[in-house]
Amino acid sequence: MFAMMVRFENVGMRYGAGPEVLRDVTFTLEAGSFTFLTGLSGAGKTTLLRLINMTQPPSRGLVTLFGRDLSITKRSEFPALRRRIGVVFQDFRLLDHLSAFDNVALPLMLAGRRQAAYAQDVEELLTWVGLGDRMRALPTTLSGGEQQRIAIARAVVARPDLLIADEPTGNVDAEIGQRLIRLFAELNRLGTTVLIATHDRALIEGARAREMRLVDGRLVELRAAR
Amino acid sequence: MGRGGGPSAILPRDKGAAPLDVVIAVMAFLAALALGASLIAERAALGWRAGLADRLTVQILPPATGAPAGAMDREMAAALGVLRSTPGIARAEALSEGQTLSLVKPWLGSDALVAELPLPRLIDAGVAPGADVDLAALRARLNRAAPHSLLDDHGRWIGRLKGLADGVVWSAYAILILIAVATAAAVSFATRAGLQAHHEIVELLHQMGAHSSFIARAFERHYFISALSASTVGTALAAIVFLTAGGLEAAGVEAVPFLPPLALKPLEIPWLFAVPAASAAIALATARLSVLAALRRIY
Repeated sequence: MFAMMVRFENVGMRYGAGPEVLRDVTFTLEAGSFTFLTGLSGAGKTTLLRLINMTQPPSRGLVTLFGRDLSITKRSEFPALRRRIGVVFQDFRLLDHLSAFDNVALPLMLAGRRQAAYAQDVEELLTWVGLGDRMRALPTTLSGGEQQRIAIARAVVARPDLLIADEPTGNVDAEIGQRLIRLFAELNRLGTTVLIATHDRALIEGARAREMRLVDGRLVELRAAR
Repeated sequence: MGRGGGPSAILPRDKGAAPLDVVIAVMAFLAALALGASLIAERAALGWRAGLADRLTVQILPPATGAPAGAMDREMAAALGVLRSTPGIARAEALSEGQTLSLVKPWLGSDALVAELPLPRLIDAGVAPGADVDLAALRARLNRAAPHSLLDDHGRWIGRLKGLADGVVWSAYAILILIAVATAAAVSFATRAGLQAHHEIVELLHQMGAHSSFIARAFERHYFISALSASTVGTALAAIVFLTAGGLEAAGVEAVPFLPPLALKPLEIPWLFAVPAASAAIALATARLSVLAALRRIY
């Protein structure tokens, strides 16, 4: 385990010839930390998460992940790094032709694990997020909240070193939201570094965690972990 | 994927597969026809060569008008004598007049006028297996004993038939290569279209840490199964064509006079199923290479 899971140094990001979405962003996520990333819509939260997930390179600055400087890391090494990250996408990105069970099992399959070895873990996790009776259901037959829970279960099933979530409680009621946060907290207790981008003030106030806020593409440290 | 599965289950089966299936089925049908034609040509060439290679024919041409009666019979007997005394000639038999007439019957018919024609007399001789007969010396001896004799070793015919059969076989091979190239091009095009159609899935898998080879495996299995099933249908249709031709031949229907029947023997039919095997292998390799090349460009 590295002491620093993620480090941004003077990172700037612009799309094409447009304005900078992120400006001189500098921060560190320590191993085992739990952090909220807040900011208004369009503040650059999703872009920052995409840079962490290596979906795109920064326009300038240095991104270090698991102790590796991404600017000099070979592209062929990216898949192995990405498999150490669990991602909850804002738009879920479930595979509509696969059942809830198969969607959740996807990271384990990508890691080369056999179904017999992971079936019980997947079933237990789906039960934990309240979908024990919908394992065979296709995503298109589920509500937005249920799809979101599948997306979260998929992100955490492989117990990643780093979990990044983009508005993970945006489509669920308060009770389910708190339940999902407890899931993240439990994962964090087991050693996973967690970064959650959210608007949900109730969620942030209820957790004793660090908060970083993006304002016009610049990062402001609002609150250290309590 | 049901509950758990391989990379192949990552892609839905339904998106845009039907046109490619039709193209591959038609390609396989044409390839199986070409392969069947090459098998027929090779078999026919072997048959022609086996039938003519060890045989000699001596013609005694009718002498000019006014020649003494019985001259042809004397030359016939002299030629038979020469042949039978030649080392390496296993047998030599004169064809009767009736046998000679039956040979020209397909071309000239069998009415009374034909019987009046000055037809040559024929001797059918066989060379002993492995024997090396000096044809030039034999021809000289025959001409001395029977001045109106002509020796034909069928070399010219065998050469032409072999050339015809070789032409058919090589043309079939060329067609097979063209079809293989066309199949690879169609699969490559379809794979790129498939990548477009499934780009959200491909992007998600990449973001989740899938290696390009995992995604390529998903596509190659997808197109392998697609090509195998479609080309099996095309090949089965070609097999039905050849079996139907065989049935017509058995019923006495001659497709093209003097050419071998366009039918495959039952033991030759399984050879046709090399076509779906090759087609599936081409689809698999093409899909893999196309996906890996495309992913290298995109990611």
